[in-house]
Amino acid sequence: MSEMWINMGPQHPMTHGLWNLRVKIDGEIVLDVDPEMGYLHRGIEKISEDRHYNEIITLMDRTCYVAGIAWEHLFILAAEQALHVEPPERALWIRMLSEEFQRVASHLMWYAAFVQDIGLMSPFLYGMRDRDLVLDLFQSYTGGRLTYEYMRVGGVRNDLPPGFAEQARKVCDWLLDRFVEYDRLCSGSDIFHRRCDDLGVVKAQDCIRLGITGPMLRSAGVPRDLRKDRPYAAYDRVDFDVATAETADVTGRYVVRMEELRQSVRIIRQALDWLDKNPGPVMADNVPRWMGAPYAPVGREGYLLKREYPKGVGFSAIEEPHGEALAYVVNEGGEHPYRVKLKSPVFVNLSAARHYLVGYRVADIPPIMGSVDICVGEVDR
Amino acid sequence: MEGEELSRRLVGKFPAVVVEPFRETAGRVRFPPEILLDLFREMRDGLGFDHLGQVGAIDWVEEREVFYTLWSDREKQYVFLSTRVPASAPHLESLTPVFSSANWHEREAWELVGIEFDHHPDLRPLLTPTGYEFHPLLRSFQLHEPEGLEVKVRDV
Repeated sequence: MSEMWINMGPQHPMTHGLWNLRVKIDGEIVLDVDPEMGYLHRGIEKISEDRHYNEIITLMDRTCYVAGIAWEHLFILAAEQALHVEPPERALWIRMLSEEFQRVASHLMWYAAFVQDIGLMSPFLYGMRDRDLVLDLFQSYTGGRLTYEYMRVGGVRNDLPPGFAEQARKVCDWLLDRFVEYDRLCSGSDIFHRRCDDLGVVKAQDCIRLGITGPMLRSAGVPRDLRKDRPYAAYDRVDFDVATAETADVTGRYVVRMEELRQSVRIIRQALDWLDKNPGPVMADNVPRWMGAPYAPVGREGYLLKREYPKGVGFSAIEEPHGEALAYVVNEGGEHPYRVKLKSPVFVNLSAARHYLVGYRVADIPPIMGSVDICVGEVDR
Repeated sequence: MEGEELSRRLVGKFPAVVVEPFRETAGRVRFPPEILLDLFREMRDGLGFDHLGQVGAIDWVEEREVFYTLWSDREKQYVFLSTRVPASAPHLESLTPVFSSANWHEREAWELVGIEFDHHPDLRPLLTPTGYEFHPLLRSFQLHEPEGLEVKVRDV
């Protein structure tokens, strides 16, 4: 049979976002692939050069629309270094709590989308239902369900509301019960294993050569997690295990993410206990008040205030739900950063698509790409 | 690995590099563009920094800076490397022979900041549309104000 190129995307049930996978096939066999990105390129890095630090937080939420608060966290860590600001301890714990809730929400979203890719409809609804409980918690203390604008240079915007901890603990209990159910539905099912085992294999040394990070790398047996290896926020003060698997295939990535959900709940519980016992400020003292305010700085007559900051650079790295995210912020003394560079883990994981798709069949592409967990917002930025 | 050790092990082989402390990493290595491939081979094989994190570029108007982040699983540390090329001839050797994962990063740095990576296997636009002839992250590419909205800025 003759070879040909086909387009999977930009509108295709497999893509989960706007991108195009060009696939060269011979019958059912994939011979070559070429991801085409850029449909969602909004120039967030360029716009950041023209915005105040507070305004960039809004952009960071849009960078990845299923893990907004993780990107806020990443940017804030770099911006604090660049602006020479030290946040109070309680803010660090609230940030860690937020990031873990975001990881749960993001992994549940992944679970819902992934199982739908392989043809299971009910787990999709269960995943979305349980994610909503986490979003309700977000709404109770940030006001937003998807885009939060919650973190600030020097801390977080506001403290947790009264009664938050009880509600959060209830959600944690509920989620742990549901994770058992998910396992019974998927990893306990023979059909699931026949569909997913030995698909999209990337061995550990290939992962490192290709720059792959996150659950994909951990599913190959490499226990690399920046929360453990290079702790930020308060991750060095909580107990948790790094989830790994040995199979390096689609099932392995499923196993890793499911275990990460349990570990996130474990971190959340410890954070809630600590926050109960340690009240205190959530914004640093040496930050101008308007920097913690919910809106952009506006002076008496409606003019924007012009600020000058000391020069500085910031470099931060966090374990985002999808993998290793890096930010580099250069501040040349103006009121806007001179350059903001964001590195997305999905960008790299996707650039290796040729490695884990070639040789499999066309029908294998949706489960494999589903297991990579693609968020086009952070690839294109 | 501490900054001094990194400096000692690198400067012996590459006298032209400068190592300085940088933000909870093993250090920031400034190097001349000619030694790029040799330096990264040494970083990967000799020092164990085998995981490429990112490649990015900054426009400093007269010069353009290209920076790299490497991670070592053995040391549990990042190292930050950077070099500068003149804006009049922004040519730099591609890192793809040493780190194949530099491919997309360099495509992005080329289209956004206009760094010409020599011997890159596939230097096509990645994020911008085909035929787009600007490098949007250059300082000369100005974002214009929305029409009819004047923002006044005042010194305080």
